[in-house]
Amino acid sequence: MSMDITRRNFVKSTAIAMATAAAAGSVAGMVGCAPRVNEPINGDSTTKTLAVCRFCGCGCGVIVEVRNNKVVSVYGDPENDSNRGLNCVKGYYLSKILYAEDRLTKPLIREDNSLKGTDEGFREATWTEALDLVAEKLRETWKADKSRLAFWGSGQQPIVEGYAQAKFWKAGLLSNNIDPNARLCMASAVVGFMNVFQTDEPAGCYADIDDADVFITWGANMAEAHPMLYSRVMTRKISNPDVKHYDVTTLGTRTSATADKVIMFGNNGDLAITNCIAHYLIENETYDKQFVADHLQFKSGTENIGNAYEDGYDKSEIGQAVDATQSITFEEYAERLKPYTYEYASQISGASVEDIQELYELFANPNIKITSFWTMGVNQHNRGTWVNHNLHNIHLLSGHYCKPGDGGFSLTGQPSACGTAREVGTFCHRLPADLVVANEAHRRFSEAVWNLPEGYLDEIKTPGFHTTKIFRELSNGNIDFLWTAHNNWAQSMSNLTRFLGRGAEDKRGIFDAFIVVSEVYPTISTKYANVVLPAAMWVEREGQFGNGERRTAVFEKAVDPPGDAMWDLWMLMEIAKRVLNGETIDGEDAFDRLFGQWYDKDAGEFKFGTQREVCSSIWEEYRTFSNPTLNERAAAINTEKKLKMEGKQLAPYEEYIYNHGMTWPVREVDGKWLPTKWRFSYGPQEEGYDQIGIEMYGDKGLRKDISFYKSADHRPSVVFRPWEPPAEIPDDEYPFVLCTGRLLEHWHTGSMTRRVPALNTALPEALLDMNAADMEELGIKDGDRVKVISRWGECEITASSAGRTKPREKYLFAPFFAEETLINLVQQEMYCPLSKEPDYKKTCVRIEKVGA
Amino acid sequence: MGAGKYIAGIAAVLVAAEAAGSVVAGSSSELLRPPGIQSEADFIARCIKCGKCIEACPYAALHVAGPLNGSAAGTPCIDAREQACRLCADFPCVAACPTDALRDVNKRSDPHMGYARIDEEVCIAYKGYRCEVCYRVCPLIDEAITLDFQSMERDDIHTKFIPTISKHDCTGCGLCVERCAVSEPYVPIRIVTLAEQAKEQTRS
Repeated sequence: MSMDITRRNFVKSTAIAMATAAAAGSVAGMVGCAPRVNEPINGDSTTKTLAVCRFCGCGCGVIVEVRNNKVVSVYGDPENDSNRGLNCVKGYYLSKILYAEDRLTKPLIREDNSLKGTDEGFREATWTEALDLVAEKLRETWKADKSRLAFWGSGQQPIVEGYAQAKFWKAGLLSNNIDPNARLCMASAVVGFMNVFQTDEPAGCYADIDDADVFITWGANMAEAHPMLYSRVMTRKISNPDVKHYDVTTLGTRTSATADKVIMFGNNGDLAITNCIAHYLIENETYDKQFVADHLQFKSGTENIGNAYEDGYDKSEIGQAVDATQSITFEEYAERLKPYTYEYASQISGASVEDIQELYELFANPNIKITSFWTMGVNQHNRGTWVNHNLHNIHLLSGHYCKPGDGGFSLTGQPSACGTAREVGTFCHRLPADLVVANEAHRRFSEAVWNLPEGYLDEIKTPGFHTTKIFRELSNGNIDFLWTAHNNWAQSMSNLTRFLGRGAEDKRGIFDAFIVVSEVYPTISTKYANVVLPAAMWVEREGQFGNGERRTAVFEKAVDPPGDAMWDLWMLMEIAKRVLNGETIDGEDAFDRLFGQWYDKDAGEFKFGTQREVCSSIWEEYRTFSNPTLNERAAAINTEKKLKMEGKQLAPYEEYIYNHGMTWPVREVDGKWLPTKWRFSYGPQEEGYDQIGIEMYGDKGLRKDISFYKSADHRPSVVFRPWEPPAEIPDDEYPFVLCTGRLLEHWHTGSMTRRVPALNTALPEALLDMNAADMEELGIKDGDRVKVISRWGECEITASSAGRTKPREKYLFAPFFAEETLINLVQQEMYCPLSKEPDYKKTCVRIEKVGA
Repeated sequence: MGAGKYIAGIAAVLVAAEAAGSVVAGSSSELLRPPGIQSEADFIARCIKCGKCIEACPYAALHVAGPLNGSAAGTPCIDAREQACRLCADFPCVAACPTDALRDVNKRSDPHMGYARIDEEVCIAYKGYRCEVCYRVCPLIDEAITLDFQSMERDDIHTKFIPTISKHDCTGCGLCVERCAVSEPYVPIRIVTLAEQAKEQTRS
């Protein structure tokens, strides 16, 4: 298939493309007629393919240039509407991630278990040996005790791969012990969206930036973690000097450095500040009365929920009650807010009364457009779900929602946390497309799409182990089989002292479990593997990512994987066919029932000639979840149970290539597929409004022409969520508050970016950013090695006051990209009791100079 | 490791050769000197090539200028791309200097070894990529290097984040040169040393 890259506006985009191609070291094909995807450029053997950046949730489109089966350059795709032609420095060097010398190219089998935790003790194996062994161990565990197996996936897993994985786990193994690393970054946002709107993901889009009058970043170092979106924010700011940016944060960052106003807080003060804003909106009658009357309902929920100190927390009385809510009146909600005066919010948070009042006045002003961005500071929080609630609350009460430039936007960290983890539903409690295992109608609908007998999925009506639970039970010796892919858990999980078996004697189950790691490079995780499966990386196969603005995009296969490395989807099929061997569903071979339409198990190959066709065919089944009319049985359930599955409608596969990505819901109008940029906001579909969705399910004529048609009674829930303290409070023994996160040059655990020489030169070492006064008090100089010690563990790192981040006294920042530092040895394992997302932002520690 | 040293060796030879050229041209060396240098002339007059500053540097950032440097051979210098000066709080190199060739530095912002200069043609920040590595690694971030936000022609969603160097505040430590993420066709940031500045002034 060939697609015209420059189908639209070639002339307009040429300037950018020329500049970027030149910058990336190639001008091939940039002169003359429009270059075409997958077709040789006249005069040389260069081909160009369409792709999406491998790194963050911005989801920047890129064009990949290939010569002699090697990626020679990558540059921004001018026609991907998420980035329109530019990248950050990581994207600039994307081609290099494929070619570090230590790529894994052969399956490895651990022969010496006493060397687990090291790179030693492996032998190279054939695929048949490795797959037989993995399948034997999985089947053995499955037959013996299904609760003792788990798969840990990722927001970096391409969409159809995640879909097939979830189908194998949920329908094939009838197990809910599958969870993604997105649990570590977006779970609090997800539970917030689901509780408030009953549908996941932001209503707005990146184009909101172009219209906003005020930006508020809440717990978001966007300047480093979302580089190209921040470029767009700065574009809006310099084009209009009246546009203001408020940074609400616990830590001075590069984002704070460019903000017009920085509001520094601590002690979970975000909960108090947001409730304070809500309080005065009501007290001063500056809330949007018609918006409240037309759109909202009010609730309260379980409070005083404590923290998950014990492994059994989720099953405790309070642990089981955390999700419960009750309807309350608007007046009762107002009453609950009354304690949240400026003085009280200031006292709790440390922010000044004047600063909180200034924030309130923004929301009280109906004549400005406010775009709030939030990310890990909000989500990785022991009350992360509650803060998400409160941010939605103040936007909803004030009517600042769902209009261009005016709304709350939860930023995503991984390239397909939305597209795969959240939309496919590779979580322990989910099914595809916002469906959950605990809901009977949702199971019936999924059975219909998957062609399973009615009631077949009732065996998985109870959610399985979430991420921290998986690793807690692994350490407890209660997991016998763990398979991980597209992540590096041995570096990214919290409390690694426990989870890597370096702590208590009775928490060393990691050494007994059979662990399978699908990977492209050696990582700390592969050191703990019993089998390493070498995987095709990024554009070595075709895949799909869904980014932070609901944009689904395809990356084409550009080159072959090295050595014996294989497509993850092939590995999955080969393992599934072995494990399901002899099993039946409804009298039919179980593997064939689930995967036979795509894979010939006897031939050991896909039933299509190209990966494009394989992906397209899987996509078509996945797409049925959001296009129920494609399946008669599903359509009937959708209608009868009012599931409104079209709320997340997806287009045929080829549309995503042709259009360089599209934001869902995608609607068919007069034979053309049109994206939606502003969900729930009525207006012409052609302009990106949710016309079709509202005409299908919503109401017209309501305040601001908005209709929240996916919400119960079409009314999002404003739930009162009080202030409650962090899991750890600084004391004499552990006086510092440690925050970890990403920096621009390296992505997550650095397994890709640290292998790019230019990026490693740029940022070769993880530093502990400290306040100069703290360093002086402790007799620590720049460059000194220090120990970071918490209740959970300790690590060594180099101290710095150079100021990339500027912590206040008694606050610290360290990035988590450095394997040799392994800062997560120190991190607490407490999580938000609702979302089960760990808090990586405020473990209490002390600092000791090494050798002092 | 071996390759790294080999490349470093080549770099050193190139630096030396460049310096030698300037010697031939009849002017003094343009080498990047340790912190505490007051001027190239003052430094050359006082430096007795004892090597004590080189021994004192905890980062091994100081090297002996090679024989191709004419009269500057044997004096201390820095190859910033290989290892920049890290502006130690107690400046052990300055403390070790027996002749006050290096002197009068007490805090991180005191030294003036030179200032950084960016080649706008090669720097990718000038093309709109979000890079600015030099800015974020600068020990005097937001002082010696700031960001200037410039709109891009025919592009309504991107801004250039231009690293902008304050000649007055830049110490010339060279950490921006060491860390620059671009090396093709060459590293677009370099330190204009005191000697070079003196020569530029003479020319103008």
